[in-house]
Amino acid sequence: MLNKEFADRFRVMMVCIIGIFVILIARMAYLQLYRGDFYYRQAEGNRTRFTTILAPRGIIYDCNGEELVNNKPGFVVSLTRNAGEKYSPELIAKLAVYLRMSEDDIQKIIDKNKDSYEPVRLMRDAPPDVVTKIEENMRDLHGVMLEVQPVRNYVNRELAVHALGYVGEVSDYDISQGRFQDLKAGSIVGKFGLENFYDQFLRGTDGSYREEVDVNGRIVQILSKVNPHPGQSLVLTIDAKMQRVAEEAVDKQLALLRANGVAPNARACAVVAIEPNTGEIKAMVSRPGFDPNLFVNGISSKNWRVINEDPFNPMTNKAIAGEYPPGSTFKIVTGAAALQTGKVTPNELIFDSGRHWLVDMRNAGGEALGYIDFQTALAASDNVYFYEMGNRLGIDLLDQYAAKFGFGKATGVDLYGESSGMVANPAYKKKVFNEDWFLGDTFNASIGQGFNLVTPLQDALMLCAIANEGKQFKPHLVKKVINDDGSVFKTFAPELINTIPVDKNNIELIQRGLRGVTQEGGTAASLAILPVVVAGKTGTAENPHGVDHGWFIAYAPADQKPSLVVVVVVEQGNYGALSAAPIVRRVLEYAFKEQE
Amino acid sequence: MHRTRILRNLDFILLLPVLLLILIGIITIGSATHMNMPNPNRYYYVMRQSMFVIANLVLGYYFLRFDYRMLKDLAKPLYLFNIGMLLAVMFFGHTVLGAQRWIQLGPISLQPSEFAKAIMIICLASFVDRKLPTLDNFTSWLPVFGFVFVPFFLVMKQPDLGTSLVFAAILLGVMIVCGFKKKYFLAIGGIGLAAAPLLWGVLHEYQRNRIRVFLDPGLEPYGSGYHVIQSMIAIGAGLFSGKGLFGGTQSQLDFLPENHTDFIFAVAGEEFGFVGVTFILLLYLLVIYRGLTIAMNASDNFGCLLGVGVVSMFSFHVLVNVGMTSGIMPVTGVPLPFLSYGVSSLTTNMFLITLLLNIDLHPQKLRFD
Repeated sequence: MLNKEFADRFRVMMVCIIGIFVILIARMAYLQLYRGDFYYRQAEGNRTRFTTILAPRGIIYDCNGEELVNNKPGFVVSLTRNAGEKYSPELIAKLAVYLRMSEDDIQKIIDKNKDSYEPVRLMRDAPPDVVTKIEENMRDLHGVMLEVQPVRNYVNRELAVHALGYVGEVSDYDISQGRFQDLKAGSIVGKFGLENFYDQFLRGTDGSYREEVDVNGRIVQILSKVNPHPGQSLVLTIDAKMQRVAEEAVDKQLALLRANGVAPNARACAVVAIEPNTGEIKAMVSRPGFDPNLFVNGISSKNWRVINEDPFNPMTNKAIAGEYPPGSTFKIVTGAAALQTGKVTPNELIFDSGRHWLVDMRNAGGEALGYIDFQTALAASDNVYFYEMGNRLGIDLLDQYAAKFGFGKATGVDLYGESSGMVANPAYKKKVFNEDWFLGDTFNASIGQGFNLVTPLQDALMLCAIANEGKQFKPHLVKKVINDDGSVFKTFAPELINTIPVDKNNIELIQRGLRGVTQEGGTAASLAILPVVVAGKTGTAENPHGVDHGWFIAYAPADQKPSLVVVVVVEQGNYGALSAAPIVRRVLEYAFKEQE
Repeated sequence: MHRTRILRNLDFILLLPVLLLILIGIITIGSATHMNMPNPNRYYYVMRQSMFVIANLVLGYYFLRFDYRMLKDLAKPLYLFNIGMLLAVMFFGHTVLGAQRWIQLGPISLQPSEFAKAIMIICLASFVDRKLPTLDNFTSWLPVFGFVFVPFFLVMKQPDLGTSLVFAAILLGVMIVCGFKKKYFLAIGGIGLAAAPLLWGVLHEYQRNRIRVFLDPGLEPYGSGYHVIQSMIAIGAGLFSGKGLFGGTQSQLDFLPENHTDFIFAVAGEEFGFVGVTFILLLYLLVIYRGLTIAMNASDNFGCLLGVGVVSMFSFHVLVNVGMTSGIMPVTGVPLPFLSYGVSSLTTNMFLITLLLNIDLHPQKLRFD
């Protein structure tokens, strides 16, 4: 008998079997006791998911309470970061098909977010057909989820885009620069315009869900929730109706200028409409524009190319960053300086023979007006008269007054990217062109040609000083910041930033001259038909690279306390009276018809 | 044999741990499956498993009335039946998860390879019993090897590496007890190692992949490594005392695949913790110890060899299944005896337990009484 003779063989077997069980129990001890915490966390990581609930950004209202920017619910397609450190190529390939993105693009987004514990957001505001496809195939898309998140919505698309700006995902560069350092990758921040400038108010605080999910990413239950804190809203100084009128007027005028051949390249334009007594900007236009909604979900490379390769730079807010020679609008400054320093009296008659006697520089179009006084010279925009003013003042005094009007430095408007313009002097010419300063340079400066550059907003502020007894208020676009519950958080009151050192009677002399501009015999007599008395100044800025830029700046009502300054520059638009004045006329027509 | 005698003489130290394991199995199956079943059938798997437990208990009770020695005469036809059944699977079986293992019989899907294990134990015991006097050198063992190799090969072709290795394990137990020489073991082991590359070539691609992934589960965290990773997470997350019945998130939320069959042990690990799995493993050890004791005390070589076969098979199953769920063995489709859901394996295992009880109940050849 086997068992009776060889009991030791059974013992060998039993020892082997006990050995096996010792190993198995040891393995259990290793997994459950020694490494238990690790696996416990892994299991928790499997079943729990943190999802950020994006705080809706604040609403942006115009001065009449019209919503210009709000939020709409949108589906976001995201990848969770569960147990897998790596997403399978099959999954990415499937997603590429459903999302109509390239696998490379998806991988890039994943790589960009690899250090974050947030879900990787692949597509914001996914279109309905994409959402349907993802939902139907959820079982095969391990780790993919759909979130409903607020998506920024620019209600009127292009309207006031350069003032409003747009939002986008915060970039690594932004974070490294420190301003957004407490934000997670993928957070939405203002990138441009007011969205950017007032981001800290608009953004709000994100909330989060802690959810229990099953293997397919379906939510089983919500374990905890931290509510998001919506951002604060902005009430703008902008009047959406006036903005709309201005934009329509610009588009119509540009098309007209191109069509009738006087300005084949008239595609860029800037408009600023501002209240001289408060600094509130009522309209701000820059052309060409773009649709900010394109940027909200990350702009496609095709759309980006279209915008980026446009030679007229749609991304530049020309109202604050466009720099142009001021042309004859600068004669206001030259005149104010000459009157204030006593270099000329209002009644002194200066003989215009069509050219200046010291340097052979002439009027435009070969005009010769004979003996003229200050008021006529301004109304008729006589070059020879103002050459002489320049001659009497000298470039240093002229520059001083230019600076006193606010040229050469940023106005401090509540937008980033403002240009400071340029007040040229002999030292500048020497440094940049290595040439001496000639009297002709002073002549050019006195009529706003040559080296001087101003932004439309600076020019508007200059005219504000004339319209408002020498006072300049800080230009601004936001009236107040309001809380989620509607209470006012902060009000931006009018802020006097400068009073130009020009006497009241001198200002009145200039005002009278500017009123003459829109009268019979003035350079913009076409505005005489308006129901409101308008004072203005045309300008044509010489452009060595093409057709001249046309300016028209105006305020109204000119017979009472002026309440609105409108400045328009049409790049390569030709004469200001021809190109810019009709836009100003339309805006004023709207503004003052409305009030009466 | 008389009813009262059977009940009086039953080895309850063997039977009770088995019944306890079956009960734990049913509870765990309930926990693993109720979440995914539509409401009226929430406990479908529990009902089904329980039903077959009862059926097998009844069958087993009747089986105990016969002397196990009658199986000796059935060995030859059983062996042929076994071959025929495995061939039938090859030609008529349907494929699940890449392996052809199932045969449909009315409402029941049968896995012939499970029954083949029991049949193999009986046939091998009978075969070796007859050859025993001549088994003294290596060549005398060759017919035994050949005897095992035929079904081994057929099962491996299904392909079901796990079950074919069960045959090898049964043979190994028998070889140890029959005094197969240590030097031969060493020689075979050496040859086996040397032939490993050759064997690698014989394996199916999916089997090779399982071994690759076994060596590094991170290779395919969402592919075949996924099972093992999720299973290890489940067991580890159970910590000392477990998350409680129905409390295991890994299985309740479906992260753990095959959680009521091959990976049931991971469910137990997560929900009952170290205390629970140690208890379960000790129950197995008790069953195996009792089985080996019965084999040692068997009144003839046939009974002894049967017992050894059963013990070897159980040991191997526990080793491979628990090893697989805890990441120290490659993934092969070997169920955990008594715990895993499955009619074929439950029936086979309960039959083998009654076989042990039978050996214990029939100490000597019955005379006519």
